[in-house]
Amino acid sequence: MIQLSDVWYRAGRDQILSGVNLHVDPGEFVCIVGPSGAGKSTLLRLIHMEIFPTRGKILVADYDAEEIKAKEIPYFRRKVGIVFQDFKLLEDRDVFENVAFALWATGIRRRQIKKRVFQVLAETGLSHKRYSMINELSGGEQQRVAIARALVNEPFVLLADEPTGNLDSEATYEILDLLRKINRKGTAILMATHKEELVNTLPVKVVKINKGKIIE
Amino acid sequence: MSLNLLYSLREGIIGLRRARVATFVTVSTIAVTLALFGIFLVLTVNVQRIVGLFRERMALEVFIDNSLNSEQIKKLGERLSSLSSVRKVTFVSKDEALRRFKKEFGEDPLTFLGENPLPSSFEIKVQQVAQTPQGVERLAKRIENIKGVEEVVYHGKLFRVVDRYSRIIIFADIFLSIVVLLAAILLVANTLRLTILSQRNTIQIMQLVGATKSFIKRPYIIQGVLQGGIGGVVGSIIVWVLIRVVALRFPHLLEASFLLVSSPFLLGTVLGFLGSGIGVKRFLQT
Repeated sequence: MIQLSDVWYRAGRDQILSGVNLHVDPGEFVCIVGPSGAGKSTLLRLIHMEIFPTRGKILVADYDAEEIKAKEIPYFRRKVGIVFQDFKLLEDRDVFENVAFALWATGIRRRQIKKRVFQVLAETGLSHKRYSMINELSGGEQQRVAIARALVNEPFVLLADEPTGNLDSEATYEILDLLRKINRKGTAILMATHKEELVNTLPVKVVKINKGKIIE
Repeated sequence: MSLNLLYSLREGIIGLRRARVATFVTVSTIAVTLALFGIFLVLTVNVQRIVGLFRERMALEVFIDNSLNSEQIKKLGERLSSLSSVRKVTFVSKDEALRRFKKEFGEDPLTFLGENPLPSSFEIKVQQVAQTPQGVERLAKRIENIKGVEEVVYHGKLFRVVDRYSRIIIFADIFLSIVVLLAAILLVANTLRLTILSQRNTIQIMQLVGATKSFIKRPYIIQGVLQGGIGGVVGSIIVWVLIRVVALRFPHLLEASFLLVSSPFLLGTVLGFLGSGIGVKRFLQT
């Protein structure tokens, strides 16, 4: 489903990725582990098609990074959810609107939006917070909102870039639990983290990366 | 589609409300700018109109040699009518000239001269293409050379002055209008750019969740059109009020059609659209 073959990426003079191969099957949970600057985020951004490889092939579902057109990217993004360390939420809107935001853009009917948002808020344990403003929430709750927003379009894969980087240990495990729950329902997950001890406790496929190369 | 548009409209209005101060400043500046433009336009149109009226009435008086008999006068009239820049030739007989003289000066020359000293003449209206100082002068020269013509009289100097000043006014108007228009476009574009910059985050998130480019742009375009349109309406109102105020003192000086008065509104909407288009395009490319 996700297939990277001999992917190289260079930004200016810096060689960020060198000959990366990666494969993620549908419904799989894969963790990319490596120190800061190893190229984890770059890898996720390549898969999300924010940037494109200098060399090599990237296939995500039916989309080929070499052939995708600029105007197809929004439609591609709707099938690939993404969350970040810093959540990237809209501070001036409440939880419901933050999640609904991702659906507005697709032009679905209002009633369907409401139904779908309530459903995904229930799945992520946020039903009781639906009308809270973002700054009233804890870090863990904010990341749940981000995850809910990423899931609301029912993507086949969820990309998570250091999703627990800003969270305390309790919230970290809650988020990991949530990700596993989502994964059990069939959504593939590709998570990047620098905390190796975190993923060792999880029954997931681990890919180690350092200095732009897959080492294990 | 309609839902999307509704969403964009709502977002556009929310955006304007959020940046209340900036919106107020932009809208009022646009209003003043477009009011200026409207005033220039009204002035230009009216200067044109008044100069046109003046030109229309511009006439050459061709005095006829007293020795010509009626047959020769008739021939001279035909000759004048056949000239290319002549629109209309009216014969003014000695009696008619006398009547006009009496009406104008309130005195009868017959009482102190005993005879009618006024020559008969032809009054010549000029065709529109020749209604320039040079054109009239050329025509006058040609007529002077025709046999049987005593003298040609016209207000050449006055005509030249009016022509020169009207031209200066119109050029100044056009120049100022262009400046004002560019200023309005830049203003909208810049305000929008600021709005967009302040919402960089939102736009980035929209791109992340798969919003199409046009979906992202639309609220900002709507904001631009609203700003330009509202500013334009205010500008139109200012122009209308000014015209009314001038009309209190000089009732027939200015004429302004509905289209002319609403031009700031129409233009504001178009400029808002263009300005926001430029602003959005610039930002989304970076």
